[in-house]
Amino acid sequence: MAKNSSFDKKNPLLQAVASPAGRAFLALLLVLALGLIFNGDGAFFKMGTHRDALRQASVYGLLACGMTLVIVSGGIDLSVGSVLALTAVCSAQMAIHWHWSGWLVVPACLMIGAGCGGVSGLVTARLRVQPFIATLSMMVLARGLAKYTSGGMKVSTAMMNADGTYRYVDVPPLFRWVDNRILGGNVSMVTLIFVAGFAVAWGLMSRHRWGRYLYAIGGNEEASRLSGVPVLAAKTGAYIFSGMFAGVAGLCQAAQEQQGDPEAGAGYELIAIAMVVIGGTSLMGGRGGIGLTLLGVLTIGYLDKILSINAVPEAGRLMLTGVIIVAAVLTQRRSRT
Amino acid sequence: MSPGGNFTPLVCLSHITKRFGGAAVLQNVQFEVRSGEVHVLAGENGAGKSTLIKILAGVHTDFEGRIEIDGKAVRPQTPLEAKALGVAVIHQELSLVSSMSVADNLFLGRQLTRCGLVQDARQQQEAALWIQRLGLDIDVRKLVEQFPIAVQQLIEIAKALSQNARVIVMDEPTSALNAPEVGRLFALIQSLKVQGCGIVYISHKMEEIERIADRITVLRDGQWIGTAPAGELPMAKLIRWMVGRELNGQSLRHQPPLGEERLRVENFSVFPAGKSKQPAVRNISLSVRAGEILGIGGLQGSGASELFLGLFGGCGSAALGKVRLDGQEIDFASPRQAIATGVALLTNDRKATGLILSLSIAANATLADLRGLSPAGWRRPARERAATEKMAGLLHLRAASLDLEAGALSGGNQQKLALAKWLQIRPKLLLLDEPTRGVDIGAKREIYQLMNEWTAQGIAIMLITSEMPELLMLSDRIIVLHRGAMSAEFSRAQATPEAVLATAMGLNSCQPGAGFQN
Amino acid sequence: MKTANLPPPTPNTQSVASLGTPNNWMPAVRSVLFVLCATVIFLAGCNQAADRAVPSSPAPQKQFTIGMSQCNLGEPWRVQMNADIQAAAAKHPELKVIFKDAQNDTLQQRAQIEEFVSSKVDLLIVSPKEAQPLTEPVARAMDAGIPVIVLDRRLLGDKYTCFIGADNKKIGKAAGEWIAKALGGKGNVVELMGLQTSTPGQDRHSGFLEGIAGSEIKIIFSADMKWLEPDARQEMESALSRFDKIDLVYAHNDPGAHGAYLATKATGREQQIKFVGIDALPQEGVGYVRQGILDATFQYPTGGAEAVDTALKILQGETPPKEIVLGTRRFDRDNATSGGEIIK
Repeated sequence: MAKNSSFDKKNPLLQAVASPAGRAFLALLLVLALGLIFNGDGAFFKMGTHRDALRQASVYGLLACGMTLVIVSGGIDLSVGSVLALTAVCSAQMAIHWHWSGWLVVPACLMIGAGCGGVSGLVTARLRVQPFIATLSMMVLARGLAKYTSGGMKVSTAMMNADGTYRYVDVPPLFRWVDNRILGGNVSMVTLIFVAGFAVAWGLMSRHRWGRYLYAIGGNEEASRLSGVPVLAAKTGAYIFSGMFAGVAGLCQAAQEQQGDPEAGAGYELIAIAMVVIGGTSLMGGRGGIGLTLLGVLTIGYLDKILSINAVPEAGRLMLTGVIIVAAVLTQRRSRT
Repeated sequence: MSPGGNFTPLVCLSHITKRFGGAAVLQNVQFEVRSGEVHVLAGENGAGKSTLIKILAGVHTDFEGRIEIDGKAVRPQTPLEAKALGVAVIHQELSLVSSMSVADNLFLGRQLTRCGLVQDARQQQEAALWIQRLGLDIDVRKLVEQFPIAVQQLIEIAKALSQNARVIVMDEPTSALNAPEVGRLFALIQSLKVQGCGIVYISHKMEEIERIADRITVLRDGQWIGTAPAGELPMAKLIRWMVGRELNGQSLRHQPPLGEERLRVENFSVFPAGKSKQPAVRNISLSVRAGEILGIGGLQGSGASELFLGLFGGCGSAALGKVRLDGQEIDFASPRQAIATGVALLTNDRKATGLILSLSIAANATLADLRGLSPAGWRRPARERAATEKMAGLLHLRAASLDLEAGALSGGNQQKLALAKWLQIRPKLLLLDEPTRGVDIGAKREIYQLMNEWTAQGIAIMLITSEMPELLMLSDRIIVLHRGAMSAEFSRAQATPEAVLATAMGLNSCQPGAGFQN
Repeated sequence: MKTANLPPPTPNTQSVASLGTPNNWMPAVRSVLFVLCATVIFLAGCNQAADRAVPSSPAPQKQFTIGMSQCNLGEPWRVQMNADIQAAAAKHPELKVIFKDAQNDTLQQRAQIEEFVSSKVDLLIVSPKEAQPLTEPVARAMDAGIPVIVLDRRLLGDKYTCFIGADNKKIGKAAGEWIAKALGGKGNVVELMGLQTSTPGQDRHSGFLEGIAGSEIKIIFSADMKWLEPDARQEMESALSRFDKIDLVYAHNDPGAHGAYLATKATGREQQIKFVGIDALPQEGVGYVRQGILDATFQYPTGGAEAVDTALKILQGETPPKEIVLGTRRFDRDNATSGGEIIK
C-alpha cells in the first residue's frame, strides 16, 4: 500500500498549506514578515516602496511568465536576457532615432522577440537539439546582434552630428508613457504591463488548449505525441511566446532607462528561472503554473527591495538570496504520493 | 528433485512462490541446474520465467521457497551477492557500458588498483586472457560500442566468466545474431559445459531448443509443469505442456453481425530507424470488418506492436504500404491525422506511452479530443468534465475525484482511463495492444464486456495480447506474426493454443486457414 | 520430430517508441546549418574587425605599426578610448593601428599580446584587464624590443615604457570638494558606488571621503550599484522612500547618476536634489549636464589621445616620463558647452 501520509490528512487547511501554491505563499509571507521586521526606518510601510518594488520586479516578471511556459513544456530558455537587450536596442533605435510611434514600435518588438524565440524553438523541437544548448546559442547570438545593431554603444537621446558634436532629442512619448505612474502616482505603468502579460500567460496556460498541450508535453512527450498533441508546433510556440515576453520586457527596460543598452539584461534569465522555481513549477516540466510564478516574482521582488532599503552590502545580499532560493526550493520537494 | 546418482546440482530452487500484490506470479516452482548441462527454461510470455531468474539473480528478495547453491541454502539479498555466489545473468539488454573499453567493462566495479590508481596495463592483460579463452581475437582497448552485438554478447559472457560464474543464465541470447554467430555461441556453450558450468537457456525458438537442450523445464501461468530430458520431450509434447490448459467453458465473446470491410491493409512494411535495415514488419496484408475483433498472435519480436504503430501514423515515413479505411485510401503522417480519421491506438505500456501521469484524470481523458471539445481554442471545463464523467461511467472507472492525478490510480483504472481517452474520439478502428496487461480479473471482465459493446456499435478492433486464453476467447479471427511476416491465419473454429503457438514460433509457416497439422 | 526450414534470424527490433524519429539525414542537416551560421557570423565579425584597422594611406615617411590590446569593448568608455586613439592616429598618416579586443578574457588578452609580439609591431599600447597575469607578457614584449604604453589600469613592477592613466582618487576628491562647496559645507548625500571590488570604485569612494573631510556633509545612504543604471535606479528608489531630505546624489559613474535622476524625477523631487556623476563621455555625461539632468560630472579621461602622442615621441627616439597622470575636467552647468574646467 502507498506509504505516503499527506493524503491521509483530512485537515483541509494542512492540505492547502502542503500544496505547491500554499508553500510558495508561505515563502512570500516569510519574506514580507522579514520586511515588517527590518523595515528600513519605516520605509517598508510607505506606498512608494511597494510601488517601486513591483516596478523593479515587473521586468523580471515578464521574463518569468514566458519562462514558465517553456519550463512547463519541459524545456528552458536561457536567451531571454539577450533578447531583452536586442529589443531594448531596437526599440530605442525606432522610437528615439526614427521617431516611430508606439503603434509601430510595440508590434516590432513583439516580432523581434517572436523571431528569436521561433529560431530557438525550431532548433529545439525540429532539430532535436537540447533546449539548454539551443537557447544558450541564441543567448550569445542575440547579444552579439544587440551589440552589432547598436555599434557597441548605448542607443540614447544623444545623436551624433556630422561634425562629431552631439545633439539631444526628446525622450519619445512611448517611453514616457511606459515609464509613467498612474492612479495618483501609486502604480507604475510597467507594473500594469506586467499584469497584462501575466493575464495573457494565465489565459493561455489555464484556459486555452495550447496550455494543456504544454503540460502534456512536459509530463510525457511521447505519450502526448501518441495522443495526437501537435508536439512540434506547441513546443515551438512556447519559445515564441517566451521571446515575445522578452521583447516586451526589452521595451520596458529601454523606456525606463531612456536608452537602449546592448549590455542590458545580463543574468536576467537566471533571475527569471529562480522566480519560476521558487514559485513551485518543476524544472522537469508538466507541473506548476503561472499563478505559482506570480508568487515567486513577488517573493524575489520583495526580498530584493527589503535588502535594498536596509542598505545591506553586496556580499551579504548575494549570500542571503542564494540561501533563500535553496531553502524555498527544498520546501517545494513533493512528498511521495 | 534430481534423480540422484552422480549428478551434482549446482543450483537448486524449490517451492518458489512469489506474489505481486495479491496475485501469485510463481507458485511452488522447482528448478535445478546441474554442472555441465544446458537446461532450457521454456514457457509463454508471462509464464514466470523472468521472475524465476530474477529471484535466482538476487533482484527479488521477497519470496517463499529455498535456494541452494552447492547444497548450501543461500538467500542473496542483492544482485552483487548472487554474482559472488557464482550466478551470472546475461540479459537481452546487455549490461556493458558501450562508451568504455572492453577491459574497463570486464573490470567494472572491481578495478585493479594500486594506491587508488587504476592499473590499466594489468587490467588489459587479464582481460585479453579471458577474451581469448572464448576464442575471440579483439583488441581489449577498443570501445565496446565499436563491436557488433554478437561480439558484445561474447564480451558479456567473458565478463561473467571472469567473475567466476558457474551458473550462466542466457535470456534470449540469439535474438540479435545471424546464423554463423549463433553457431559460434553454441560452440562456446559446449566448451562451457565441458568446463563444468551450468547453463540456463531461455528461448522460444524451437530449433535452438532442439539443438542445444540437455533438459527442458516448462512453466505455465506461474506453475511448474514438468522437467524432462530433451530426448523425452518431442516438439508437440513441449508445445502442449506450454499451452495446454483447461478451457474455461463459456466464452465471454458475443460476436455481433459483421458489417462492411473497415480496414484493408496491403503489403504493409515498417522499417525501424537505426543501423539494421531489416524491417520490423514485412509485407503484411490483412483486413478487418466493422464489428470484428481480429487477434494478432505472436511472440516477442514478431512485429505486432510495430504494425499497430505503423498503422497509427506513429512511424511517419518509416511505414510503407497501402491502407484503406472504409474504402478511402489513407496515409497517416502523424498520430494526429490518424485520430482525426477515427483510428485509436492503445499502447502496451500505459505508464510510458499511454497516459500523462502528472495530469489529472479529466485532462488525460480529454487529451486526444481537445480539438473537438474546444473548437475555438479556449477550453470549456464544464464540457470536459461532462465528457469525462460520461466516459468514466461507461467504463466503470471509479475514482474519488476527476482532479486526481492519473499516477495515483490503480493499474486497472489507469487502463480504463486510457480507454476512455480513446473512446472520446469516437473511433472507427481500435488498435488495442495488451489491453488487460497488469489489470485485475474483475476489471478484465469489464473490459471484455466493453469490447463486446464496442463491436456491437460497429467499431472494428485489432487486438494484441500475450495471454493465449484471452486471444482465443476474444478473437473472431486470428493472424499470427513471426519475425515481422504473417505466418498463419485462423478462423475462430480453427484456432487452438498449440496451432497458434507453433506458428508463432515459426513452424508450419503455412497457408492461411489451413490450420495446424501434426 | 518435425523440423522446419526457417528464414535467417532477424536482429532485435528497436523499441516501438523509437520508430518514426528523425532518420539518418538529420545529422547532415545539422552540420550544414552549423557551417552556414558559422560562416555568416564569421563574415560579420570580419566586417567589424576590418572597420577597426585604420587604413594606411601610402605615406612617404617610415610606416609604424602600433598594436592596441583592449581588454573589452563592453564598456562605452572603452569604446571611447579606442575611438580617441583612432581619431588621434588619423592625424598622422605614418601610423597604422591594429586593434584587438580580448572580450574581458585575461587569457585571450595575453594571447593577443603575444600575437602582436610575434608579428613584430613597432609599439604596443595595452589597456589590461588585470595586473598580475599580464605583467609577464608585457615584460616579454619589452625584452623583444617593443616599447609598451600601459593605459588606465596598472601592471605590477616597472617593466613597461610608460603608464598613462587618470587618478580616480583625485577625481573622487575633486568631486567631494566641489560637492562640499556646492552644498555650502553641509547636507545629506546619497552615494551610489561602483563595484566595490574594483579599484576605480574603491578609489572614487576614498577620494570622495577625502574631499568632504572637514565639512558637515553626511552620507546618509550608500549602496553598490555595480556601475549599472537599473541597479542605481532601484537603490535610489529605496533611498527616496527612506529619507525625506536628500540634498545631493553622488554616483561613481554617469549612468548611475542618470538612473538616480530618473528615479527621483518619478517622485517629482528632482528639483530639490543635485546629481553628480563621473566619466563625462561627450554623448553621455556631458550631454546630461547640458540637458540639466546632472549638476556636474567629472571627466575620467581615456588617455587615448595622450597615448598616441607619447607613442609618436617614443618612435621618434625620445624617452617619455615613466608615468603620465592625466588631469580631470569638471563639467557643470556653467561650463558644459565650453569644454569644462581643468582641475589639476
